[in-house]
Amino acid sequence: MARVSIDPVTRIEGHLRIDVEVDGGTVQKAWASCTMWRGIETILRGRDPREGWVFAQRFCGVCTTVHAMASVRAVEDALQLEIPVNAQYIRNLILIGHALHDHIVHFYHLSSLDWIDITTIPKADPARAASIADGISTWPGNSHRSLEEVQNKVKGLLASGQLGIFSHGYWGHPAMHLSPDMNLILFAHYLQAIEFQRKSCQVVAILGGKTPHIQNLAVGGVMNAINLNSLATMNMDRLGTLQSLFQELIPFVQQAYFVDACLLAASYPEWFRYGRGVANYLAVPDLPVDAKATRFDLPGGVIMDGNLGSLRPIHNWRSEAIRGAVAEDLTHAWYVGAGAQQPWKGQTDPDYTDFQADGKYTWVKAPRYNGRPMQVGPLANVLVGYQSDHALTRKWTDDALQRVASLQGPKLRAEDLQSTMGRYLARAIRSAMLSDLALQHLQLLTTNILKGDDTTYNPPQFPQQQIAGLGLHEAPRGSLSHWVVIDKGAFSNYQAVVPTTWNASPRDQKGVPGPYESSLLANPVADPAKPLEVLRTVHSFDPCMACACHTLDASGREIAQVKVL
Amino acid sequence: MNTSAGGHPRISVIGIGNVLLGDDGFGPLAVETFRCNYECGSNVEILDLGTPGLDLAPYLYGAVLAVIADAVHAEQKPGTLCIYCEADLLAQRAQLRLTAHHPAVQESLANLRLTGHAPSELIIIGIVPESCDLGNGLSPSVLSASSVAADHIARLLMERAVDCRRRHTPIQPNLWWLESDSSPCTNCQSRKAL
Repeated sequence: MARVSIDPVTRIEGHLRIDVEVDGGTVQKAWASCTMWRGIETILRGRDPREGWVFAQRFCGVCTTVHAMASVRAVEDALQLEIPVNAQYIRNLILIGHALHDHIVHFYHLSSLDWIDITTIPKADPARAASIADGISTWPGNSHRSLEEVQNKVKGLLASGQLGIFSHGYWGHPAMHLSPDMNLILFAHYLQAIEFQRKSCQVVAILGGKTPHIQNLAVGGVMNAINLNSLATMNMDRLGTLQSLFQELIPFVQQAYFVDACLLAASYPEWFRYGRGVANYLAVPDLPVDAKATRFDLPGGVIMDGNLGSLRPIHNWRSEAIRGAVAEDLTHAWYVGAGAQQPWKGQTDPDYTDFQADGKYTWVKAPRYNGRPMQVGPLANVLVGYQSDHALTRKWTDDALQRVASLQGPKLRAEDLQSTMGRYLARAIRSAMLSDLALQHLQLLTTNILKGDDTTYNPPQFPQQQIAGLGLHEAPRGSLSHWVVIDKGAFSNYQAVVPTTWNASPRDQKGVPGPYESSLLANPVADPAKPLEVLRTVHSFDPCMACACHTLDASGREIAQVKVL
Repeated sequence: MNTSAGGHPRISVIGIGNVLLGDDGFGPLAVETFRCNYECGSNVEILDLGTPGLDLAPYLYGAVLAVIADAVHAEQKPGTLCIYCEADLLAQRAQLRLTAHHPAVQESLANLRLTGHAPSELIIIGIVPESCDLGNGLSPSVLSASSVAADHIARLLMERAVDCRRRHTPIQPNLWWLESDSSPCTNCQSRKAL
């Protein structure tokens, strides 16, 4: 029995430690530990709820807009304040722009090097690679010449002996088995992705005023002025610029990223057998299309025990199926107390004990849905959408499954996506679907403005008595909720239950592990000193520990330590 | 990233750090002080990027010069300013504070370099922090170093013939995160249309 400790896990946002016990080449037990203290919510107490979002968007440097959005929604929910439909569309477009950005960066820059071995690229034949790529996609970035250029860059990099950030890869690992041509195609898109990361930032900047910290939000709507006759406001020119940016961005998402994810899935079919973990899924409804937020373009719901037929829809943000169902368990987290707390009554008082596998071992609380652990993220989003007969989810999921099969990959049904590779594929399906929704919401906004509606803001009024609100958002990493209590016009409690808290959850009172922990069971590990396979499963969740555990100075190790104990 | 197009060649003056974590907010403070004390041409982008991780890349993309203000680890007393060039960073002579978003400057630069869009020149203005604890505000030594850092950024730009002039009357800096709990933020007081 080998005990392996990876601390910190690299190529994720923030600091995560994973401990696994390996026997007979597979993981027998696993612990996910966040080594940073949580408590940033305390900064919000006593503050004006109208400015909460400005602080909330600093919780996490990467998911800025998602916290800003959840924060204004929480306050609007407490006030039962409707926002103008223009504000819904503008917010939705920001959320889509941010999500596309996030998913592209995750696939290429934070996880693809677990599957692509760049050291084989010099052996590729760029002409043959170009013809393979042409056969499966219409993406124009696959020309012989552009692939040859990338190959030369990689040759130069390898010859220099200074791999820099690429020196930490598990090159030559037996679990890497893409052909040199495939490695070249995927790495070419890795480099092209930087251009499209930039374009998605520009979308958010045009609507939000600035990135990464948007400026246009307000409790009650958005501050974008709409006037078709003014140069300085949201006018046909700006709407046209957005349209062209999306038209440049979307082909990359649908013809490069989406196809690459299918290619990876077809090439690594064994990864549909690993990493299932907690098979309970939660997705919240998002992309509201009316002022009262009663209709949504992304459906919400809950699926239990891996059975898609068990779907129970969450129709809207007022539903008790979400408001009454969430509690956070502190038994194995470094906080005072044990058992579960409802988030509106949640407390965050530290009680650090060092890593105790049978006791407290992480700064992440254990959120539970009616007492059960839940997996959140694009996979939950896709499974819920598919089972809800959401047309775009169906269209892109069916497309992906057919494509994987036609690339000599496994023949899969939607329920077979419950795995490590399924999470990668679901993220690509979600991106392709959100790309279609981006154009639809831009059209909705344009049509509404052309009808003469230029309202974007309804001013809030704060009562003296105590009120509570819930702000929901189906963020790139999964369901996000901000739970606020407002007393005499100031926050008296603020708790954020973020996607990574659900997924990186420790064991609870009953000893039931969270999604990362259970997904690692039976995961293969060919060489305990090079636990690449563990990273594949952990990276499939797109961990972002910064807001799950909030902050801290982790001065010290810059490179992950892999200790075989 | 601002919505204004700006001219060429592009220069980025970037503050990195989490304003909610005491002296880690030095980067944003330094660039805000620079913005208020100096006036620049439209090709100079002044950006508070928080802790962007790999999302730094779009802001470095294609710049001829990038100046980054950040907290650093150095064997110096708190409040000391340390200036580094890109070679220092690559040789690990410059140790940036390891924030919650570790893949950041080195990784973004390496990716940009492979695509040919890395900034031609990169300079880091580092501060040795006293305390990076949650919600404590900035310590006096770091606070007082910000105007020195701003002057230094200006000198770097002027030496490279970039349009950068000291303002006759400095603008009041917007340090919203340091204001008292009760005062509403500027965004809430006046609804300024974008």
